[in-house]
Amino acid sequence: MVNIRRFHHLARLLLVFLCMNVVWYIAYLLMNHPILPSPLAVYNAMAHLEAKDLWLNISYSLFRIFAGVIIALIVGLLIGLLMGRSQVWNKLLDPVVYLTYPVPKIALLPVVMLFFGLGEVSKILMIMLILLFQVIISVRDGVKAIPDSTYDVLTSIGASTAQKFWNVMLPGALSVILSTIRISLGTAISVLFFTEIYGTEHGMGFFIMDAWLRLDYPEMYAGIMLFSLVGFVLFLLVDVLDYKFMKWRN
Amino acid sequence: MEYKGGQLALGHVELTLPEHGIYTIIGPSGSGKSTLLRAIAGLLPSYTGELLFNGKSVHAKETLIGLVPQNYGLLPWKTVQANIGIAMKISHPEGLHKQEQEVQIKHWLTSMGIAELAGRYPLSLSGGQQQRVAIARAFAILPTILLLDEPFSALDAITRETLQELFLDNWLANPATTLFVTHDVEEAILLGQKVIIMPSNKEEMPEIVDNHSVFQMKHEHKRDSDEFFEQTKAIRKVMQEKW
Repeated sequence: MVNIRRFHHLARLLLVFLCMNVVWYIAYLLMNHPILPSPLAVYNAMAHLEAKDLWLNISYSLFRIFAGVIIALIVGLLIGLLMGRSQVWNKLLDPVVYLTYPVPKIALLPVVMLFFGLGEVSKILMIMLILLFQVIISVRDGVKAIPDSTYDVLTSIGASTAQKFWNVMLPGALSVILSTIRISLGTAISVLFFTEIYGTEHGMGFFIMDAWLRLDYPEMYAGIMLFSLVGFVLFLLVDVLDYKFMKWRN
Repeated sequence: MEYKGGQLALGHVELTLPEHGIYTIIGPSGSGKSTLLRAIAGLLPSYTGELLFNGKSVHAKETLIGLVPQNYGLLPWKTVQANIGIAMKISHPEGLHKQEQEVQIKHWLTSMGIAELAGRYPLSLSGGQQQRVAIARAFAILPTILLLDEPFSALDAITRETLQELFLDNWLANPATTLFVTHDVEEAILLGQKVIIMPSNKEEMPEIVDNHSVFQMKHEHKRDSDEFFEQTKAIRKVMQEKW
């Protein structure tokens, strides 16, 4: 049963992908201009990319995303838990979060670059900034939504704060954390692209811009498609985590 | 023992109960029976008075409390087995071997008649099944004091009767000192060696009715016996005076 459903799902995805390529091909025929190469030319360019070079670019991008996500999760989890469990901290930090949350983080790119230079730090920091506030808010609300009575039995047998964190707070807030990551991952990838335009010679953003500057359009499109593929795989990863840790909901 | 939460939730209460007994507490809503249980379980931030077990505070390390709340208190993200496992691990940090623990868990689930549910998640279980898990968990940590806060009141009549008998069988095999809060007179008489009747007036002392004559009977004979009938009448009379 499950296999059949999975097969149908996969078949549907492939069909949609195929249709998009057909639309693309028709657009290519209509435009007949080098700024939109045919899908075949792009796949051909993709096949001729140097694998080692490509891997290096993808690894750099993935490293920046993972570092940013993990730092945002750790910091956001700590602050969110503090706000979710303590009235005092919530009152103190709530205005801070609400005042800074609407600031468009991408506009901070020049500021971050002024302070931290053009290197890795500012790239990772940008991704972290995008995710941080959403993680804080979702963890806080997630922890608040756990009824107090959930802690009772563990408290009565003398559980430590750490034990309550691992067994109640973290699993209780995990579902909101996962959906937050899923939503903000898209934004994080876009921001990564912007940061990779400056001060680096590695990464998918650099690869695309480099191809653009060399007027090598098929390679540029190939880069965009590969970049999207990386994003798609990250989405799948969150889905796998969701499936693994959220079994209890059904 | 006194507890103040703006209003007096539980007035002055003095109770001294022998160890290894099972005591049912019955009282009108708002009489503070749950508050008493929460205080013993260490869930109240502050109260004045003393709660002693064997001359030592009930919150001392060597007193282990098995709590069965009305809402079962299971962690929804853990399987039945993991729910019991984590309680065992926290209450006995020196710990058992993993295999030994699994054998223990299996034993307690079997004695509650739910061995086949070990791998299930609580949200996929019925109320009665969840309460069986909660009771199995309370017994599994080998508590010195067992506290049950209206454990069966959310269940239908037939499930309730089955669970009452199952609980009593398990208790007779592992007689920890037990406080059982209920609002059901029959349940109080069926399960308790003594029945503690909480007054609605917080100034008065609770009344303790000895229930030995019913308690020593076989469970299936209790309901139809004259003693049960007499006891019901006696307790109802106290209730009419006190409530």
